[in-house]
Amino acid sequence: MTKEFKHIGKATQKFDGKERVSGKAVYGHDLELPGMLYAAILRTRYPCAEILSINTSKAKALEGVECVLTAEDADVHNISYKRDHPILKKGRVNCIRDEIVAVAARSKEIAEEAIRLIEVEYRVKKGVYDPFEALLDTAPIINEFGKGLESFDNKNIAEAFHYEHGDLEAEKARSKVIVKKRYELPRVTHACMATSNITADYSPLTGRLTLWASTQVPFLYLRDMAHALKMAPSNIRVVQPVIGGGFGSKLDMLPFEPICALLAIKTAKPVQLLYSREEEFLASPTRQPMVIDLTTGADEQGKFTFRAVEIIMDNGAYTSWGATTPFVMMQTFSSLYQVPACRFDARAVYTNNPFAGSFRGYGNPQATFALESNIDLMAEALGMDKAEIRLLNANYPGEITGQGLHYNTCGAIPALKAVVEKGRYHAIAHAPKEGRYKRGIGLASMLHVGGGAKIYRSDGCGTTLKLDDYGYLTIITGSNEIGQGSETVLAMIAMEELGIEQDKIKIINTDTDVKPWDVGVHASRTSFVAGNSLLGAISLLKEKLNKKAAELLHIEGPDFVYENGMIRVDAHEIKIDKVVRDIHFMPPHQLCEVSFFYEPSSEFQDKQFKGDVSGSYAFASQAIEVEVDTLTGAVRVLEVHVSQDVGRVLNPLGLQGQIEGGVATGIGYALTEEMIYEDGLLKNPSFHGYKLLTANDMPKVHFYPIETNDGAGPYGAKGASEAPLIPTSAAIANAVANAIGVRFYSLPLTAEKVLFALVQKSVGTPRRCATLSEHAQIEKQKGHGF
Amino acid sequence: MDFEVVTPHTQSELLGAIAANQGKNFRIGAGYTDLINQFKLRPERDLTVINIAQIREDTFRNISKNDRCIELGALVTASDLLGNDTVRKEFPVLCEAASSVASMQIRNTATIGGNICNASPSADMSGALVALQARCRILNVKGERREEPLVSFIRGPRQTSLEKHEILERIIIPQNTSAVIKSGFEKIGARKSMEISIVFLAYHFQLSESGIIEKAGIACGAVAPVIPFADRACAYIVGKRLNELKDDEKEAFAQKVMEYAAPISDIRASAWYRNEVLYNISKALFE
Ligand SMILES: Cc1cc2nc3c(=O)[nH]c(=O)nc-3n(C[C@H](O)[C@H](O)[C@H](O)COP(=O)(O)OP(=O)(O)OC[C@H]3O[C@@H](n4cnc5c(N)ncnc54)[C@H](O)[C@@H]3O)c2cc1C
Repeated sequence: MTKEFKHIGKATQKFDGKERVSGKAVYGHDLELPGMLYAAILRTRYPCAEILSINTSKAKALEGVECVLTAEDADVHNISYKRDHPILKKGRVNCIRDEIVAVAARSKEIAEEAIRLIEVEYRVKKGVYDPFEALLDTAPIINEFGKGLESFDNKNIAEAFHYEHGDLEAEKARSKVIVKKRYELPRVTHACMATSNITADYSPLTGRLTLWASTQVPFLYLRDMAHALKMAPSNIRVVQPVIGGGFGSKLDMLPFEPICALLAIKTAKPVQLLYSREEEFLASPTRQPMVIDLTTGADEQGKFTFRAVEIIMDNGAYTSWGATTPFVMMQTFSSLYQVPACRFDARAVYTNNPFAGSFRGYGNPQATFALESNIDLMAEALGMDKAEIRLLNANYPGEITGQGLHYNTCGAIPALKAVVEKGRYHAIAHAPKEGRYKRGIGLASMLHVGGGAKIYRSDGCGTTLKLDDYGYLTIITGSNEIGQGSETVLAMIAMEELGIEQDKIKIINTDTDVKPWDVGVHASRTSFVAGNSLLGAISLLKEKLNKKAAELLHIEGPDFVYENGMIRVDAHEIKIDKVVRDIHFMPPHQLCEVSFFYEPSSEFQDKQFKGDVSGSYAFASQAIEVEVDTLTGAVRVLEVHVSQDVGRVLNPLGLQGQIEGGVATGIGYALTEEMIYEDGLLKNPSFHGYKLLTANDMPKVHFYPIETNDGAGPYGAKGASEAPLIPTSAAIANAVANAIGVRFYSLPLTAEKVLFALVQKSVGTPRRCATLSEHAQIEKQKGHGF
Repeated sequence: MDFEVVTPHTQSELLGAIAANQGKNFRIGAGYTDLINQFKLRPERDLTVINIAQIREDTFRNISKNDRCIELGALVTASDLLGNDTVRKEFPVLCEAASSVASMQIRNTATIGGNICNASPSADMSGALVALQARCRILNVKGERREEPLVSFIRGPRQTSLEKHEILERIIIPQNTSAVIKSGFEKIGARKSMEISIVFLAYHFQLSESGIIEKAGIACGAVAPVIPFADRACAYIVGKRLNELKDDEKEAFAQKVMEYAAPISDIRASAWYRNEVLYNISKALFE
């Protein structure tokens, strides 16, 4: 059944593109309400200390200051996934981003001046910055609200996951090769173009709170906010301004948000809080740094036998959704490739570092880096081709994995074959490596949820449609636009199904008072879930229209075609707006409106983490060619070949954007990005020191979509947008190993790290040994020793 | 941070403004790409900014050329350099240095005078000018001028020989005496743009028809408190045939460049790395 589509699969410019590029888009920073106050936050000076006293009298006395808020003045609940995070700290501080006092004043300058006038007396304590140290009996309790002792036998464990399938010992015994390695992953941050922001307004007359907030999950946010402030959720309205970057950073509600709400409540005036770039680096959540001990085996033929994984994650001082990333990582170990046995343990450990949150890929880049590196090592040990070993073990359609994931469709093998062939993998891998610039190529694959992920009570999304008397369609969707292009895809679906032009389609998706429920933007779910929800609503709408059209055309129950604003069958046709007017104005007088709630067929996993957690699964492979400058250690990415099972391409232009953006994040993760912490203090809170790559650093990205037409997705589509960054760092590390014969077990592969390894390889101990120990010292500070 | 801004439009207004502020705390502002950052890092009180961006006089603005030298006004921007034929063809080292600065937006406002007077060891354009043995022309409030080699004008990080009553007016680069040159700028950094040098090597060799190095200029950046001119390395290489250097000669040359390097370690790179890379790229210059 190859139906010809008019819009689906055709490159379509972003619905909101014109506003974004012309500067007309209204971000949170652009909002200005009458009488609005400006907030600022005093954060701790030390990452680990007791607070002996807080003196706010000078700040309170400053002209223009309207509210000074400390923990003492706030009757609130703790926030966060484990409710272990006080929004304002008293008694003690646990990491360098900790909020102690908040101020609202008539100008930003006054607010900042007030912050400078606050005196806090600390008793500095020795912090714990290494999760392994935090696990020792001798370590102090880091988070007083943690439930580690009761739940996980260690006071400093915030969360733990255990998963297993198969007979590990038996599989181990029959393995021909076993590779055991430790991988270390750095702390990186989202670096959203728009810094964090919120504007809050409260009416003491109605008791209603309105928040202009850049959340990715408005309905969960509303619930969390209500809990924090001890309010009724329905008295809170969340309005999303245009969001300048999410990438997972806006999955958790963070302390600054209820703080700003409280300031608005206390002053009964609108209050705005905007982060500076420095604050953004310091006080937004990060990707989980972690240490992965991975043991993998394969038999004589190269068939994988088992995997044993132990992961220690640096949770930081509080627990965000990010602590649940093992949920995703275990899928990679258990179900990317066929493997008869798998044991997986992950522990998120409190430290006095800032807390890690969720970030596009949700643990999967870390897991994939470890696994795909180990696969290369196993191939080497077996003397096998690296493409062949992957193809031999890849999954097929129809597979039900050890973890219970159902692969109704599976593009793993076609994706691998595409990048091996198009990337000229074998030719480049086996070319002689000579001269100053050495080229190499690496492969890596990935598995990620493609049809949402059932981790909340519902993974659904609601849609309301309103077709007006003039044939204009308003789509009121629960889903959010955070720049990923979901509005565009929804409009394309409506254009396809209802034959309405793009400029007659409006999308309402920013107001929780208006829009139906949705769980939020995460897990690459929006096009899948909101797309299906819209299709459901459209079929209800069509029922109404078909009935009336049949009546007006005096024909019986036909199969209408919707095209160019017309409803048609054979020679009969009628304008869609005419049909709507008849529905409205003729008896029995109805509105042309429908609502629909879509819930994916996915299921909850049981306590053993088994079950078909997503509506479908996405598979992808990348082949990346690099060039290493052996004189400077610089790694340059030359070509990136991406092939991905996206089910069906809905908007090629939007998809290409997601692929390129993901690859850019993946390259930064692989090569340059790292938050450098020394004893809990961030050393590089700026783009000067934090090496986010720029457009000039981007290589050519070749994309080969695999269309498997999964029955669960809208038109067969699967979620696509986290995948492109997941295998990138693994493929790059594999490519570097191919180029220079040195393998790296930690990221990022900075030029310095690469050069050091090259020198070590060629002369044993590097030249200029006098400074070698100093070098090692610095690397240790950066968190990765040699 | 609050400050007053005075904007002279002519040289005499400028000198008047500098004279009038002698008893006060003032700073010169040209493109502000360094200055604003400094204000953020180290806010100052009671400050006046003398904004020279609107000065109309050619001596501050143009790029001119005569038999002996080419001259750049202090307000010439990185983008101006890139758009100038003489710079592009005859002084590739300067052109490459200017094109390696930050991004187009920054290059459009970053001035050469600011790059020099900011006196950063990693200032790219200054590095190229040191290799070119440029001189600074300095103007004082009385309208008197003095000249000083750039390499001694820069005294240390954020320190120059400028007195409070002086301003940098113009930079003078000696003309090439040969049409055969090998000239370029090697910048080491993590990103292709928006990057401050971890190390740079600026080189400008003038050759005879037969390929013998007649004049050499080498400067290295981010490896010492100032941007050193590696004169012993230059002296070593002059008289040798560029394309026929033996391995041990290349190494000896690189060793001589290294004599000028005493780098520090910071979050961007260790001293070990800076040394290693400077050595490697110096040696590789002739490959
Ligand atoms: C994002 C970013 C990236 C950058 N990347 C690079 C880079 O890659 N390479 C590089 O070399 N630099 C870089 N810089 C630094 C800066 O852009 C350059 O040093 C630039 O040339 C400074 O010129 P300006 O006109 O902006 O100087 P200003 O900021 O106006 O002034 C700098 C200093 O010079 C003084 N000054 C200026 N003109 C005169 C004068 N005529 N007489 C006396 N004193 C004067 C000022 O008082 C001040 O102390 C970067 C800066 C930024 C913000």
